[in-house]
Amino acid sequence: MNAAWLPLTALATSLLVVVIIFALPEDARRLRTTINLTAAVVKIVLVMLMVQRVAAGHEDIFSFQVVGGVDFVLRSDALGVMFAGLSSLLWLCTTIYAIGYLEGSANRKRFFGFFSLCVASTIGIALADNLFTFLIFYEMLTLSTYPLVVHKGTQQALDAGRVYLRYTLSAGVVLLLGTVLLYSLTGDQSFSSEEGLGDYLNDHRGLLTLIFALLVGGLAVKTAMVPLHGWLPRAMVAPAPVSALLHAVAVVKAGAFGILRVVYDLFGIELSVELGVITTLAVAASITIIYGSLRAIAQEELKPRLAFSTVSQVSYVILGIGLFGPFGTVGALAHLLHQGLMKVTLFFCAGNYAEELGIHRIDEMDGAGKRMPLTSIAFTIGAFGMIGLPPVAGFITKWYLGVGAIQAEMYWVVAVLVASSTLNAMYFLPIVHRLWFRVGPAHGNGSWPKEQRLGRFETHSWLLLPMVFTALVSLGAGLFAGLPFSPLDWAARVANGEYLP
Amino acid sequence: MIWRFGLFDSTFEPLLPTHWALLVALGLPLLLGMLAALFPPKRAWPVLLASVPVLVSGLMLLSAYDQAGLLRWQWEIAGIQLSLRLNGLSVLMLLMTQVIGVAAALYTPGYLRLSETGPLARWLWPLMGVVLSALSLIWLATDLLTLYAALELMGLAAVGMLMLSGKAPALVAGMRYLLLALVGSLTYLLGVALILGHWGRLDLPGLTEVVEPGPVAWFAAALIGAGLALKAALFPLHAWLTPVHESAWTPVSALHAALVIKASLFILLQLWSILLPDAFYAPRVIAWLGMLAIVWGGLLAWRTDSLKTLVASSTVAQLGYLMVAFPLLLGPDIAPLPRALAWEGFWLQLMGHAFAKAAMFMAAGNLILATGESTLKGLAGTSRRLPLSLLVFGIASITLMGLPPSSGFTAKWLLLQAMVISQQWWAVAALLIGTLLTAAYIFRLFRYCFDETAPRHRYQPLAPGMELIALTLALTALALGLLAHFPLELMHGGSP
Amino acid sequence: MIAFFEAVAAFHVVEVLLALGLVVSALVCLFDRHLVRACYFFVVFAAAMTVAWWQLGAPWLATAELVLGLGLTGPCFFYALGHVLPGASSSLERDTFSEPRSRVAIRVLLALAWFVMVGAAIRTVIADMAYSPLEHPLLLAGVVIAASALGAFALHRHLLRRLLAFNLLGSGVFMLLAGVAGTSATAQALISVGLLVAWLGSMLGALLIRQLLHLEGVEALGRDGKPEEDVT
Repeated sequence: MNAAWLPLTALATSLLVVVIIFALPEDARRLRTTINLTAAVVKIVLVMLMVQRVAAGHEDIFSFQVVGGVDFVLRSDALGVMFAGLSSLLWLCTTIYAIGYLEGSANRKRFFGFFSLCVASTIGIALADNLFTFLIFYEMLTLSTYPLVVHKGTQQALDAGRVYLRYTLSAGVVLLLGTVLLYSLTGDQSFSSEEGLGDYLNDHRGLLTLIFALLVGGLAVKTAMVPLHGWLPRAMVAPAPVSALLHAVAVVKAGAFGILRVVYDLFGIELSVELGVITTLAVAASITIIYGSLRAIAQEELKPRLAFSTVSQVSYVILGIGLFGPFGTVGALAHLLHQGLMKVTLFFCAGNYAEELGIHRIDEMDGAGKRMPLTSIAFTIGAFGMIGLPPVAGFITKWYLGVGAIQAEMYWVVAVLVASSTLNAMYFLPIVHRLWFRVGPAHGNGSWPKEQRLGRFETHSWLLLPMVFTALVSLGAGLFAGLPFSPLDWAARVANGEYLP
Repeated sequence: MIWRFGLFDSTFEPLLPTHWALLVALGLPLLLGMLAALFPPKRAWPVLLASVPVLVSGLMLLSAYDQAGLLRWQWEIAGIQLSLRLNGLSVLMLLMTQVIGVAAALYTPGYLRLSETGPLARWLWPLMGVVLSALSLIWLATDLLTLYAALELMGLAAVGMLMLSGKAPALVAGMRYLLLALVGSLTYLLGVALILGHWGRLDLPGLTEVVEPGPVAWFAAALIGAGLALKAALFPLHAWLTPVHESAWTPVSALHAALVIKASLFILLQLWSILLPDAFYAPRVIAWLGMLAIVWGGLLAWRTDSLKTLVASSTVAQLGYLMVAFPLLLGPDIAPLPRALAWEGFWLQLMGHAFAKAAMFMAAGNLILATGESTLKGLAGTSRRLPLSLLVFGIASITLMGLPPSSGFTAKWLLLQAMVISQQWWAVAALLIGTLLTAAYIFRLFRYCFDETAPRHRYQPLAPGMELIALTLALTALALGLLAHFPLELMHGGSP
Repeated sequence: MIAFFEAVAAFHVVEVLLALGLVVSALVCLFDRHLVRACYFFVVFAAAMTVAWWQLGAPWLATAELVLGLGLTGPCFFYALGHVLPGASSSLERDTFSEPRSRVAIRVLLALAWFVMVGAAIRTVIADMAYSPLEHPLLLAGVVIAASALGAFALHRHLLRRLLAFNLLGSGVFMLLAGVAGTSATAQALISVGLLVAWLGSMLGALLIRQLLHLEGVEALGRDGKPEEDVT
């Protein structure tokens, strides 16, 4: 039984919200909030429905013909639903957070309109079943993020927007070229087809390698792999919810997810190994991991440090692919979810510090644990997760990646993992130390840069709740990794689908 | 190529209602224009009411084509043969003309009311009617005499429209356009003279049978090509285009950039497919010029400080996309698949650009009207005050940039696929560079608009429908991207 | 030599005279610095064209030329000059021929390209039809008129002069058309449409020139395409 309405409705929910938000006047704050939250909840329900159906073995397909030989196809499969689940869950959190964060500021209609469009694009990316459909939503994501990056309208924000566009649009062109080349060679190729591109290997080896390079090269820009990462730290000028969304879910993960699709579902892992591109990918990912961490240590402000941490962390996903074994894949997929949860928590924390206390630099954070205990606990959980300390979710990923590396007999990857964890510790532990063990303004020593009393609790409750929630979920994802429908369980299910025919 | 233009005999006779529909489609815009000159409409609703029969006639022709396939009409008056045909392509172009024409007409009353247009305003209506009628005739005509007459009628009326604003720069630019267009039409006429002298006939279906490649066909094609390229503002004969649009009225610019230019291109392609069915060099020259056009038009638009110049220069670049496809449509040794892809991509690009450019001119006109500024810098801070106009501009520019899910993207996809299959890597590069250049000048504009540090000025409120009309056009251009199958399906029909 | 004289002897005297008249009036009209006189010569030219059409056996065209060319287009120029009544003085009597060299070069190049195309086309068709140019002085006159009109069009910047040049170019082209395609009904229809277009164009041009004169003064007419300098 094919429930074609399900993927379509999941997509349409967000798109409809976009239309409604743009149609509403700027002042209709309450109505806009209601619609936003309702849609977010509805979408979570829809995605849960899809998860259930996929678990029961149904893959719902919606498709129509665009031009001869090219179809628009949405399909809910295990991998797609995983990403859709992540983005719809974090959308709800980020929307709540953004409502609190932007209270009283201008241009909220525009912000929430494009915010919803951004998430709609992510859902489209998750559910796209061929490269054409994927490309449509991937580019939509690029366009809908631009107004969010330049939201503040300052010179710095506008410059960041320009850099962002330069990177992403050029990447889009490269991706388009790769896609067209692939379609000219093979015709419409569904992500769900079992055959892969193995048939073309003998005659078109060079062309296939070129296509792979173009596709992955185009996607690597959004994944922020070195040396294509330049836009990410600059995009930090955006408001905190946008940074959270950009860095945790939408943009960087869309790139990583695209690479997963290309390697696993389009080329097939065997063909990729055969072409010899996988090892290159692993090496590039390792370089990115180490470089990102090193740059993160050098940052003195909180958000850029987190940004470089993202550069480093997202490439774990790519590294996991590079291990071409089931454990590596499980690690990669689980990290896609775990890193999203942990990083969004960290960005929420950074936003809270900035809003409540005006803290932007790391050396201003002394003793903030006393003033904002919940935020600081959440930050500590996120930081420990990033380092890979048990029982936070990040540990699971690193464990699986390590096992995968040993199985694949790529011992240098283990070295990379160890080095990276050490570096992670080097840039996160000092912050944690400052938060809890240094004496600061909360102890009557000096004053905060710009303190505001935003709410009854340590800060505005709209800002506090989503952060607490995501922190708990990242903790839970580690603690209860063995339960069914946990990120790890689902990742294992996807990996089974890839490796066991 | 020939059958794609429907230049063969039809199986069915048109039915009586179809005759009427044809008459209405060709004559009513003219008639309504005259009427509106006598009683200029002050509101949009009488215009809407009047344009209903026009749209109905288009839909009737569509359904007639759907049922019977290709239709032909032929008359002989005093030894002169006149003939029309209705195939999928002409139905499509006709519908496009009617929709954009009606949109421009609906936009006009509000525009004229808000901007001080002077006493010449009432002349806009009949000229608009003439342009629309002549355009409809061009899509349908299949003999060189009718084509010539319609082309000239359209060209002169278009010149008249563009100069109605009556400002000195408009007049100077318009005069130059007039002279060039007239000389262009003489060049065209000389080409027609060669054809008539050598083969003794002007009807296109007949010519397809007798024309054989040779010097006469080449020279005729060169003359006709030069004349029409001048009228279509194909690079490097585009210099007249931007000054003309600089001070023209918004609905006029929309009509001109969306439709008038395209008509010359349509005739050019149609005649060349007869005269140069398998020529190697001529389409390649056009393609090379097209590549230059993409780059040059993009640079012009990038460097300008005036909003209207930006929009008009982008036309030059967008026409380049169409020119680049020429070798795929006309050249020899192109396999059927890439040729079919290029054919679909060409017309989809043309339609998408027509809708998007009309919408963009209207959005630009709205911005200029509301802010009273016509430079990019003057737009600072408009993202807060005029979000809808800017949104329309944005949606239209998605199509121009060729980003998904717009018709520009689907068209670019089809063209790229055709070029990759036939291994025309230069053309691929040109298309991709064009995307980046377009993005560069579009986002340069948005950069100004998103500037929040700008001082506030007073904004003139716009008439209610003006933004909605532009939005509808922009959304049409966008929707044509994913729904491209339906219009393209229409062009498949009628193969013998 | 003898063959040449035989050919000359075969000329229809009227046609030769007519051709000469056409060419001379066209040249004066194109290159005389006195604008009003140039316009008078345009009227003379149109009259000669009427006779020529008659001579070529196309009475309908002759009528069309008489009405459209002589009756309607001619007065357009006088209207543009503000010289409606004979004897009235006009601010526009003379103009100067001075341009930047680069522009001249480009224009001459464009005109040459056009001319090469036309010449080659004529050449082909004539060779094709076993046609001897000397037997048809009117056709020859058409070639000369078209060529010189195109040259003038490329050279002049004065708007009225360009309008005049366009009209003469049109007449030359019509003559060529009649030469290569004969005076069949279709050709006559084409030429009539062309005449109509030329008249409408001239009228529009004259209105424009008047308006421009009103707004900007005499200077504006000389610097055709002032915005062009700003753009390129």
